[in-house]
Amino acid sequence: MPLCVDPEQNEIQALKGVTDWRGKRVLEVGCGDGRLTRRLAQLGAVIRANDPDAGLIEKARKNLPQRFAKKVSYKVGQAERLAEASEAFDIVVFSWVL
Amino acid sequence: MVHALYEAHRVLKPNGLLIDLRPASIHRRVGISRPDGYQLSWVMRETFEDDRAADRAVAQVMAERRFKAAGRTRFTCNRTMDTLDEFREWLTDFVIKGEFRSHDWLVRRVELALDAANGKTGIVVSGPLVLRVLRKQCTSLDQTPNWVK
Repeated sequence: MPLCVDPEQNEIQALKGVTDWRGKRVLEVGCGDGRLTRRLAQLGAVIRANDPDAGLIEKARKNLPQRFAKKVSYKVGQAERLAEASEAFDIVVFSWVL
Repeated sequence: MVHALYEAHRVLKPNGLLIDLRPASIHRRVGISRPDGYQLSWVMRETFEDDRAADRAVAQVMAERRFKAAGRTRFTCNRTMDTLDEFREWLTDFVIKGEFRSHDWLVRRVELALDAANGKTGIVVSGPLVLRVLRKQCTSLDQTPNWVK
C-alpha cells in the first residue's frame, strides 16, 4: 500500500462532530488530490473544491467515484481570489491551507 | 493568509462556518509498525513559521470581528508508508517547506530500524491535527465606510 493519510479516519470523525453535512454547500479550499473532498461527499455535502495546482485538480477529478459526480465539482483557483459568488456557501473548509 | 480568510468571509452565508484544519505546530513522531507493536524511531520537534503566521492571521480576523470561535478539537493523524522511498519523499517535502537542514540522517535511522525488523513493517509518521471552527460574523467592516475615499 502506498502513502496513506489518516487510515484510522480520525479526521472525518472530527468533521462529523462539527455539523450535519447533508445537503450543505461546501467550498473546500486547497483540496489537493481530493482525499478530503471524497470523505466530505460521503457525509452528504455538495462540494466545490479548488486548488492552485492544475495537476492535482486533474488527479482529483480522476479519483472521484462516479457516485459523487453530481455532488462534487473541481476548479483550479487561488485561496486569495476565489471565483465564487458572495454568500454562496454554508461552510468553507481550509484543508491544510493556512 | 489573511486575504484568504477575507475571501472565505465574503463567500460564506451569514452565520456560515469556516473550518481551519491543519497540523498542530508541535512534534511529529516517526516510528516503525511491527507485528509485535510500534517502535518509536525519532521525535521531530521542528516547527514552521507558516504555522505561526496562520495563527496570527486567524487572530486578526477574530479581532476584526469577522469571525468568532465556535469550536476546537485536536486528534491524531497518522501517515503510513510501506517503503523507505515513500518516507524519503515525505521528508523531502517537510524539509523544503520548513527550509530545514537535510534530514538524511533520519532516513538512515529509519532504514536501520526497517532492516532490524526484517521487512515485516511499515513506517508511521504521527502528528496531531487541529480543527478550528469559526463562525462568520456580519459587521460594519464588511462595507467600506462612506468617509473613506
